[in-house]
Amino acid sequence: MLRFFLSRVLTAVPALFIIIALAFFLMRLAPGGPFDSERALDPEIAKNLRRIYKLDRPLLEQFWLYLQSLAHGDLGPSLHWRDFSVNELFAKALPVSATLGAKAMLIAILAGTALGAAGAMSKSAIGPRLVDGAAIFGIVLPVFVVAPLLQLAFGLSLPALPVGGWNGGAWQNQVLPVITLALPQIAIVARLMQAALRDALAMPHIRTLRAFGMPGHHIYIHALRAAFAPVVSYLGLAAANVLTGSVVVETIFGIPGMGRYFVDGALGRDYTLVMGTVIVVAAAVLLFNLIVDLILAWLDPRVRYDARRR
Amino acid sequence: MSERAPAVHLSPRNLPTRASLAILGLIGLLCLIGPLVSGHPYHQVYRDYVLVRPSPFAHPDARETHAALEGIARRMRVGVESFRAESGILHLTLSADRPIDSRALRAFERSDVFGPARIVETNGEGRRLSIDVPLKRTVFLFGTDANGRDLFTRTLIAGRISLAVGLLASFVALTIGVAYGAVAGYAGGRIDALMMRIVEIVYALPFIFFVIVLVMVFGRHFVLIFVTIGAVEWLDMARIVRGQTLSIKQRDFVAAAEALGASAPAILWRHVIPNASGPIAAYLAVLVPRVILLESFVSFLGLGVQEPLTSWGVLVADGARNIQGSVHLLIFPALFLGATLGALQSLGNAWQGSPGAGSR
Repeated sequence: MLRFFLSRVLTAVPALFIIIALAFFLMRLAPGGPFDSERALDPEIAKNLRRIYKLDRPLLEQFWLYLQSLAHGDLGPSLHWRDFSVNELFAKALPVSATLGAKAMLIAILAGTALGAAGAMSKSAIGPRLVDGAAIFGIVLPVFVVAPLLQLAFGLSLPALPVGGWNGGAWQNQVLPVITLALPQIAIVARLMQAALRDALAMPHIRTLRAFGMPGHHIYIHALRAAFAPVVSYLGLAAANVLTGSVVVETIFGIPGMGRYFVDGALGRDYTLVMGTVIVVAAAVLLFNLIVDLILAWLDPRVRYDARRR
Repeated sequence: MSERAPAVHLSPRNLPTRASLAILGLIGLLCLIGPLVSGHPYHQVYRDYVLVRPSPFAHPDARETHAALEGIARRMRVGVESFRAESGILHLTLSADRPIDSRALRAFERSDVFGPARIVETNGEGRRLSIDVPLKRTVFLFGTDANGRDLFTRTLIAGRISLAVGLLASFVALTIGVAYGAVAGYAGGRIDALMMRIVEIVYALPFIFFVIVLVMVFGRHFVLIFVTIGAVEWLDMARIVRGQTLSIKQRDFVAAAEALGASAPAILWRHVIPNASGPIAAYLAVLVPRVILLESFVSFLGLGVQEPLTSWGVLVADGARNIQGSVHLLIFPALFLGATLGALQSLGNAWQGSPGAGSR
């Protein structure tokens, strides 16, 4: 298991490096700079600014300097919010986004697996179809449609919850954003779970257990273990999807999280800020994939042996 | 020489499949023909009809007529003495302290509510004017947006864009993905491992960042949206095609072609790709709605299609901003987008479940 873990970490590190390099050079390729504005700056001032932020150095040297400061955990000063470093901006925004994302994921996993399992276990023909049909709605309705509809339903027509804002993380402010983020993931997880559990229940070893007259809960425990694999392997992608969805959710609900730094940073050519968001997001996705791999290996011994053989 | 996989086909007896096809056909037809017959150009601004609610009845109603009339009278500096509406024509009597300049009557024509005015009678040396003004009848089935543009036409024009992006960007993704996957799978060994490693890495890159940067590099040109989205969505396709290629290249007919001296590109083109067409088509059915969704997502952030042109994503973003007061701006585009995506998704599901589509 340790060996498996180490091999996964060793592949994740170069991946992260390549992502950093790709993002760094792609950003610089884009036309325009961080100090462009409606009125052209005085050339002397612009030159000074570029010198202070070391943007006048050769690109490779800049990259090297950036990697060095990154190794010290310093994401650099923000080029747009001049009084803040990227670390300071993230220190405020990251907990907000992480809270939302974690809650959404938790709800998606719990509700999704429960719904999917219920669909697969139901004896009638309608149960599975109901789950499938509902799931299609959840999958196709984009986050940016669901969010305003929820605002309309629960914020305006039935003024029970605030329509936007964060308010220091009060639970009323969290309900709608978390539900919006979780809904599509609930749908996907439910579908996956239902299909996987149905397949698992049809497997020979389950049939054998039934033939032995084992009690129902005993059979389901065995089936669930096999059924969890596809669900768990989807969770890596789910994390990435929740991160993407949070960009929209945070925009619509006016939440001071990481989401807005994505778009604003890129449009304002705030190089360090964009690099910071890319690194944080990529690291989060890679970390989540690592955890998913570990859980998969724990669930299914074949995954472990396969890795050892290679 | 080439063995064919069983053809992928949809069973038309299946009720969801039938309903999906009907919905898609209807929306496609509406988007194609609707803007031609709606009577409103998609960028025409009706200043007198801002944020009108949807209704099947013709405008103007009494209140709108009154408001428009008041506005014109104020601008002409005249008073309205009498006012009688009769079968689409307003009989008006205007009065003022000074003689009324008949040229000022053009204000009626310029408004969106009235037609050209006709003078019936002039009294008091031109200080009192009796005129007949026809009412312009306009229908805004889905209402109008905050700029006074017809939402029905705009929704359908947006549909054209969204569907076009969906098809073309899917085509881009298809081309890149199939070429990449087939080459990786056929080459095998180190090249395959390296190429798939790259795919894995790009996977971890938050795609939205990728889209934003590509939009910045290329500019917000319409065609480039296809390329950008296609450039992001080919990854899954590459994986599927690679998997298929790996198994197909073990088959006897590929060995036979190799023995006959066929070149690698020829084998890929003539034998590998045709035999992988089932799973490719099945995945394509899932890809199209995903691409449409991605386009609307990018447009929602303001990085996609630019005004006055529009797409469903832009309209939904607009609706989300105007949600307090004008719900129709959100409901109609969302309904069209949702119906299209739902129909495509359920078609894709049916297709993947059909025999010959293969399982992933």
